[in-house]
Amino acid sequence: MSRTRQLMAALREALGAADPLPPAPALPPVPPPPARVYSPRPERSAFAAEAARHTTALLGIGHVGTRYATDVVLQFQAELAVAHAAVGAELPDGWAEAQGFVGLTTRVTSHREFLLRPDLGRRLSDASLDAVRSRCTRGADVQLIVADGLSAVACAQTGKQLHDAVAAACRARGLSVGTPVAARFARVWLEDEIGQETGARVAMILLGERPGLGTGDGLSAYVVYEPRIGKTDGDRNMISNIHARGTPPDEAGARLAALAAAMIEQRISGVTLDLGRLGEVAGGRGYRAPQVRQRLVNA
Amino acid sequence: MILEPIVPTVLSVRRLPGADPALIAAYGGDPARHSALGLVTCDQDDALYVALDEATKHAAVDVIFARSFYAGSAHASGRLSGEILGVLAAAEPQAVEHGLAALLGCLAHDACFYDADGKRTVTVFPHVIASLGEYLSRESGLLPGTAMAYLVAPPIEATIGLDAALKAADVRAVRVVPPPTETNFACAWLTGSLDACEAAALAYAAAVVDVALTPRR
Repeated sequence: MSRTRQLMAALREALGAADPLPPAPALPPVPPPPARVYSPRPERSAFAAEAARHTTALLGIGHVGTRYATDVVLQFQAELAVAHAAVGAELPDGWAEAQGFVGLTTRVTSHREFLLRPDLGRRLSDASLDAVRSRCTRGADVQLIVADGLSAVACAQTGKQLHDAVAAACRARGLSVGTPVAARFARVWLEDEIGQETGARVAMILLGERPGLGTGDGLSAYVVYEPRIGKTDGDRNMISNIHARGTPPDEAGARLAALAAAMIEQRISGVTLDLGRLGEVAGGRGYRAPQVRQRLVNA
Repeated sequence: MILEPIVPTVLSVRRLPGADPALIAAYGGDPARHSALGLVTCDQDDALYVALDEATKHAAVDVIFARSFYAGSAHASGRLSGEILGVLAAAEPQAVEHGLAALLGCLAHDACFYDADGKRTVTVFPHVIASLGEYLSRESGLLPGTAMAYLVAPPIEATIGLDAALKAADVRAVRVVPPPTETNFACAWLTGSLDACEAAALAYAAAVVDVALTPRR
């Protein structure tokens, strides 16, 4: 009942009015809370279950009412945190030299600047340009560049392994490999300048790729024939998702060597390169081994 | 029956889900923020002012228009005119709907005039608002959430009643509107603690009843 009406009823009694007030109008009924309780419903489609085995994408996760189940949300958040951490990571000082690479830096001076200024990450610093000119062999068939890119975590974990696999596969095909270099704060197009300075026929940069959900440790490889500053992305070929749950580094090494050999044979790279015969290498096309999603959270 | 609640009669409730910007601007709204309107007429102006304020506490609505009509509901221009037209405005019709629900609930169960002489020839509105909403806090210049006594009665009853209310408790007059107003009633807004506002409203109602029963002394 309203406070003012209570006050006036009390005052009315105090003034001596004894006859009862007419009954107050009934309050509207309060609707009951929804009675339906949702329980998690796993995905029952056999197709979705089979498809989910071949990808780390969020397929076949079921639902609770109109929403995700709690463990799915927590897993999503945990994977997003992994991706954020990978973007925020930096390659330790001296990592390149410790792995036996010639260490290079770009014109970027800080990690924040690296994220905000892609253009600076595409060109070598003056000191690194001198290092390339003085320490790298010229005229190799394939110039390999290991770089941090957007995931220093991936570079530090499997960069060396992928580099060795590619170098070995290239030599097995009779291709010469240039002096191994590793660049810090590097973007993909840095391979154009390094390849131009070393006079390599093919430049190949192996760098940490932009992290996605569950893949903070993925490497990508971008390959370009006759590297020159000014080459576009249409002139490049690439392999992504090089990590244990995608394309393993050893398998990727064989494919990348085949790609470089095809470029040298056809004297072209990019969208016009004929990829028809590459399918024979390393497992063929159209098949992907079943994958297991790494559980980060147990809810 | 002395101090019997006289429940206000809601004469019309209409919605305009997408009112014309020119109309919204003319009635004091902001066409950039408001598109849906809710319009109410009622036979008690002060009850609707309080109810409009109540609506702003329940939904994202603004009171863009609220005006009393001259000489009150006994001399209305039409069957549906009553004593006041109030307009709620919001960005979306659903907010207006929630605001109207709160407004109608307040009119049915809370804000109302009371019979002061047992014959309904003198009425009094001694209403206590425990917590001001956005509309009346803007009108009064008080902060939202403060307590206010909203006191209305006919001219002489209001004058005697206001004197009694101000002397009965530690309250401060925020706004005093001496007669004549549009409806020829007189109005006073007092503020203080909630207890003080309640004591002032009680004193006001008692004084109005006293004047109504003994007009010559």
